[in-house]
Amino acid sequence: MRLIWWLATVLAVGLFSIFLSEHHATDPAHNLSLTISAPIEDVMYDAVHPINNIYESIADHGDLVRENEDLKAQVEALKAQLAQQQNNDSRIQALEDALGIKQTRPDDKLLAANVLAQDPSGQKRMVAIDRGTGDGVTDGMVILSRSGSLIGTVDKAYSDYAWVRLITDPDSAVNAQVETSAAQPGSSNDVLTGPSATPVAGSPTPSPTPAAGLHTTTSVRGVADGDLRQGLILDLLPPDAVIAKGTLVVTSGLGGNFPPGILIGNVKDIQARPQAAFKTAVLEPASQLSSLETVLVLVSFKPANLASP
Amino acid sequence: MRYAIAFVVSWLLAVANVSAFSYIKVLGVTPDFVLIFAACWAVVRGEPEALFVVPVAGLARDLTTSDPLGTSMLAFVPIVLLAAVARQQVIDSDFPPAIAVVAAGTLAFGIIQSLVLALTGESVAVWEVFLRVIVPGIVVNALFTPIVYLPVRWSNPRFSGLRGSRGLASPYS
Repeated sequence: MRLIWWLATVLAVGLFSIFLSEHHATDPAHNLSLTISAPIEDVMYDAVHPINNIYESIADHGDLVRENEDLKAQVEALKAQLAQQQNNDSRIQALEDALGIKQTRPDDKLLAANVLAQDPSGQKRMVAIDRGTGDGVTDGMVILSRSGSLIGTVDKAYSDYAWVRLITDPDSAVNAQVETSAAQPGSSNDVLTGPSATPVAGSPTPSPTPAAGLHTTTSVRGVADGDLRQGLILDLLPPDAVIAKGTLVVTSGLGGNFPPGILIGNVKDIQARPQAAFKTAVLEPASQLSSLETVLVLVSFKPANLASP
Repeated sequence: MRYAIAFVVSWLLAVANVSAFSYIKVLGVTPDFVLIFAACWAVVRGEPEALFVVPVAGLARDLTTSDPLGTSMLAFVPIVLLAAVARQQVIDSDFPPAIAVVAAGTLAFGIIQSLVLALTGESVAVWEVFLRVIVPGIVVNALFTPIVYLPVRWSNPRFSGLRGSRGLASPYS
């Protein structure tokens, strides 16, 4: 009998707490708990992080040599791309000047935050940061890495702390686009979109067919979804889009929840089935999301708070 | 006093779980030391103490994670019921029942947590969660049980005279 009463009480208290939590009534309790635990978490993190680095180094040693060779090859390729990019930049600058458009956002206001905790649940990919509503952080704000690539968004902001939903979380969806240079038709170089690439419901922006011997920038839009198995996937790509491995993926800005042009990651693998309505690419996030220490909150960008794509 | 100690230990384990232990990834999951602690306490100390310690451990876990408050409190409920069954002393030791309660408790926790997350609007890919989170979690939590079980057992006055038995013998033998 005692067990039945206990069961009824715990179920009632648990369900009522969940209800209150969903209406943000328990936020002060969460904030207080994080306030008390933050110094301990900091000490524990500092104590374990070097050990974790050593462990990871040992575990990854076999891959390091191969990775080093791959990186050298990538550096060479990037140098070539950089040279071309510089040329493109000057052209873009000239066009922007001509149109009076300012694409970059020099007035961005960033707030540095330390990562305190990582959600241990395997079902979510979230981290806690030591900034909250008292610092101007609100739900939905965009979180960047120190190098400026996309980390995620603020999911729950308390007064002094906030939980950040990483882009690899199964509930995360970011409108993205793949930018690359399409080579002339028939060339063996990497080509981004086929000549018949058709936009999905107003998403991809097909470029004019490149003239022979010319390189042109094209973009294909999709949605970067978090995935428990593969980490990050780029979904809803046109089935005839041809995307090279290593191609950079950036935010498209559609929906108003993310500013355009923020680096998300690069294409690691492409999955396409002959009859599939859409093509999918597996992405490698630009940041090492499993060992974040400091992140930046983009406080100057106000998300549109539209429903996720 | 023992309840205060249980609360402090479960809270410290919850804090460690989101900071230091979150880097321990075995089979892709982090061992849930709060769940292991609650299960071991329930098996070793018995139902009267479990009725208080298990929900409090759940509360401590909820306060340190991003789950809605009350999720772990609800999801830990089966641990008390499983421990009550396991304490029927079919086997002449508390250790195998503790591992069984941790394993079954992890399964129940995963299912209840998924239900709560789904009801609160999170997307839950059922098979992905089952195969990549719950099943590895059962194995990993069971593997880490001795680390928590032995201190919990040694701290129990009922077993204080049995330290020479390396903690795996039954007080009833």
